[in-house]
Amino acid sequence: MSDFVIETRALSKRYGDKFALRNLDLQVPGGQIHAIVGANGAGKSTLFRILLGFLSPSAGQARILGRDSQRLTPEDRGRIGFVNEEHTLPAWMRVDVVTAAQRRLYPRWNQALFDEVLGHYHVMPSQKISQLSRGERAGLNLALALAQGPELLVLDEPTLGLDVVAKRAFLEALMYSNTGDDCTVIYCSHQMDEIERVADNLIILERGELRTMSAPDDFVARVTYWVADIPFKGPDPRTVPGLLQLQRIDGLHHYLVLDQGPGFADFLRAAGARSINAMPVGLDRAVNGFLAKNHAAPAAA
Amino acid sequence: MHDLFKAELRRFLAWALVYAAAHLMVLMFLTRVVDLAQQPDEVYLVFAAVLGLSGLLLGLYQMGGYRRANAWLNLLHRPLPPWRIALALLGAGALLLSLAVLLPLLATAAWQEAMTPRVLDLRHWLLCAAGYVLALAGYATGAAAMLLPRRAAAAPIVFLLLLPAAYATGLGALLMQALVLAWLLALVLVAFKPDVEQLPRGTGAWLLAIPMQVLMWLVLVLAGFGVELLWIAQGSHPNNLATAPAGSAKQADSAEGADLIVAGLAGSRHPDAPLWREQAAISDIATFGLGIMQTPAWGELSNRAPMEFDDEERRIRWVFSHDLGKFVGYGLANRQRVGELGVDGQARFPTPPLPGMGGLLLGRHTLHQFDPESQRVLLRVRLPDDEIIAGVQYDGERLALLSHRALYFYDARPMRLGDGLLSTLQRVPLPDASGNLQRVDVMELLDGHLVSFTHTRLRHNGMGGSFQQLMRVDEAGRVAFVARRGLDSGYGPLFTWQTWWLSPAISQGLDALRPAFSLPQPGYSLSPLPRPAGVAGLALGLMLLSLLVGAWHVRRTELSRPARWAWCLACAAVGLPALMALWRLAPRRQSLDVPAADPVVAPMATP
Repeated sequence: MSDFVIETRALSKRYGDKFALRNLDLQVPGGQIHAIVGANGAGKSTLFRILLGFLSPSAGQARILGRDSQRLTPEDRGRIGFVNEEHTLPAWMRVDVVTAAQRRLYPRWNQALFDEVLGHYHVMPSQKISQLSRGERAGLNLALALAQGPELLVLDEPTLGLDVVAKRAFLEALMYSNTGDDCTVIYCSHQMDEIERVADNLIILERGELRTMSAPDDFVARVTYWVADIPFKGPDPRTVPGLLQLQRIDGLHHYLVLDQGPGFADFLRAAGARSINAMPVGLDRAVNGFLAKNHAAPAAA
Repeated sequence: MHDLFKAELRRFLAWALVYAAAHLMVLMFLTRVVDLAQQPDEVYLVFAAVLGLSGLLLGLYQMGGYRRANAWLNLLHRPLPPWRIALALLGAGALLLSLAVLLPLLATAAWQEAMTPRVLDLRHWLLCAAGYVLALAGYATGAAAMLLPRRAAAAPIVFLLLLPAAYATGLGALLMQALVLAWLLALVLVAFKPDVEQLPRGTGAWLLAIPMQVLMWLVLVLAGFGVELLWIAQGSHPNNLATAPAGSAKQADSAEGADLIVAGLAGSRHPDAPLWREQAAISDIATFGLGIMQTPAWGELSNRAPMEFDDEERRIRWVFSHDLGKFVGYGLANRQRVGELGVDGQARFPTPPLPGMGGLLLGRHTLHQFDPESQRVLLRVRLPDDEIIAGVQYDGERLALLSHRALYFYDARPMRLGDGLLSTLQRVPLPDASGNLQRVDVMELLDGHLVSFTHTRLRHNGMGGSFQQLMRVDEAGRVAFVARRGLDSGYGPLFTWQTWWLSPAISQGLDALRPAFSLPQPGYSLSPLPRPAGVAGLALGLMLLSLLVGAWHVRRTELSRPARWAWCLACAAVGLPALMALWRLAPRRQSLDVPAADPVVAPMATP
């Protein structure tokens, strides 16, 4: 069909009366690390499950590595690694036994890479999985997934619930493994600092729809932060172009806006601003502002 | 696959060993106090329930551990076809059950064989296998229930619910269990797929749809039973009235023999009827019934009743061996084998005999008698090969033998004096099928017998009528009709035929399957009543209604055209249960009109 590792056409998934995915058109090219970001309920996990054939779409098509996701063969699955946030591994098994089983299962097994990634953790081969900490299980899971030699690696919130040290170890293991060289990584996370460090491409999903897809720096460049000293109430928020977020702090109006160039200063001046300061924002602020814009709020608020 | 198998084995090995130890302890304890090979059916039913439940719990727990979305994804997202993963898990489960269930059973049987004088036949080894197959069936039921979408999860249980109702015996019973197990395993395999919330399609859909329809029928039948409980609680149920109404089947069932004969003679025009009514008040009336619903069959896995009797004088217990075709004796005091006991010496019994009172041994067509003085087994009665013994009444002077076709009277005095066959004095044919016979009451006359047959058994579900018939047989064996009266069952047609009109196809299908792999038996010989036109009309009406509603519903589902036709045909043929199953298995198609995104919520100004 194409060179995209992931491709969806008008993909929709409905649970009862609620749509988890709505007419999603997404094309993810091969190579690089792609981050998928979205608030809870944005449809990320639903998308992964459909892509891996564990859920049927209500409408539309989904292809992964060029194959209809509902018709994946065992060979296709051998080309796709998957790590989820639970790091589900057989708790009653020993690390070396699990590793040996994986080694036998995947012909492209890379023992050196496995050792390298697991080297970031203090995991003994004779330990039972149940004796590992959550961070160690995450590391083992990542090592197992990477050593399979997948063409596509899907990481679904892999650092969820990990402490700072474990999180850093996980990211270092991922980054130093040079995974992006011959493997496309789909990285789903709520941690913007992680995304900022690892992602080459940023995909934002919101309520089952694709909102934006671009390099993280390009996305950040679209979001600007303005502080204006405007007497009285200031302009009606509904008239503020590209407004993502508005705060009033100590009498100053703080605007987070999307796709507004220098002309936004003219808008503020026209609204009575006596002084204006524009400043860049980090990815965390930009994404949060972007996602917060349409976040549901109580009707009475 | 091999790694998965080993991993799954490790997961439960400790539990399996603990279960096996506990199981073995229970069996060994029981075998110290009773002969487990000679227990009545009810005991084996309890064992079967425990083993089936154990398998069920293992299946539920094992597959339940993988049923969470992430765990399921982690299990199936690997370069192996799902069926191979399923076989690895199921193979491990089967092996664990063999450790926990089969091994203790075999060990106990081996201990009994090697260390005790008790009888252990091939059928007992097969009984161990049957216990294991039942545990496997329970296991497959649990696995299928856990893997199928929630709306279909209850369907597999129908096999375990219906299996105890089957009449199959011996290898036939084992074969039937194996067929059930095969069906359940097929159901597990079709449910074992990445999208676990999707119902099986194609052949798999029918593997599920058929038990689902039977389950829906059972639900309806149980609902009817619930209504009956309310009826009983309300106090007007015909079997729970304070006083049974005159002329009712309930009254006839519980009446004294004399009262029943007097009531039966009330409408008789026989010239001797007034005399017999007076005589009934002062005579001893012998009352008995269908003592043997099912005669023992060669190689049957369980026993209707223990196949043993004790020679109290010599303190010997004689236990029948199916393998030898003879009784094997051991001392009750010293537990030492004392020998074998065959027909008139060492000959095999023609059919396995059921020990009865007075040293009688009731075979399928023959009646033997054990003579404790001579330590011999003597043939006393031989019926035609197509006639099955169904009961006996023996008081030392007279022997009344009930077959599934007739009642025979013999002079029993030669049983004390000689060793020959008894000669038939009189034969009275049964007025209706033996399976419907509730009781027989016999009054001895100066020149024969007055016999009352009360056919009220299974009147509650239309499998038999409800009447009393009196016959007189004279010394010469001439049989004359005396009187017949209908007895009111009090149920009414809607209740009586409820299991039928809910779904004639399922009701009759199950009735037809029930005797599979079994011999004809006195208790199975029935004479169903003709169904009233109103009941047949109701059944047809429900089938038509099911067809109409089903045809309307399938248009709203995602079913393919052939599947829609098949469901419509099922609704027309099966009726309400098919419609209910359709509703469960093919929900309404979701609208695919994707609505516009929710309106943008205005950003909030924070003070």
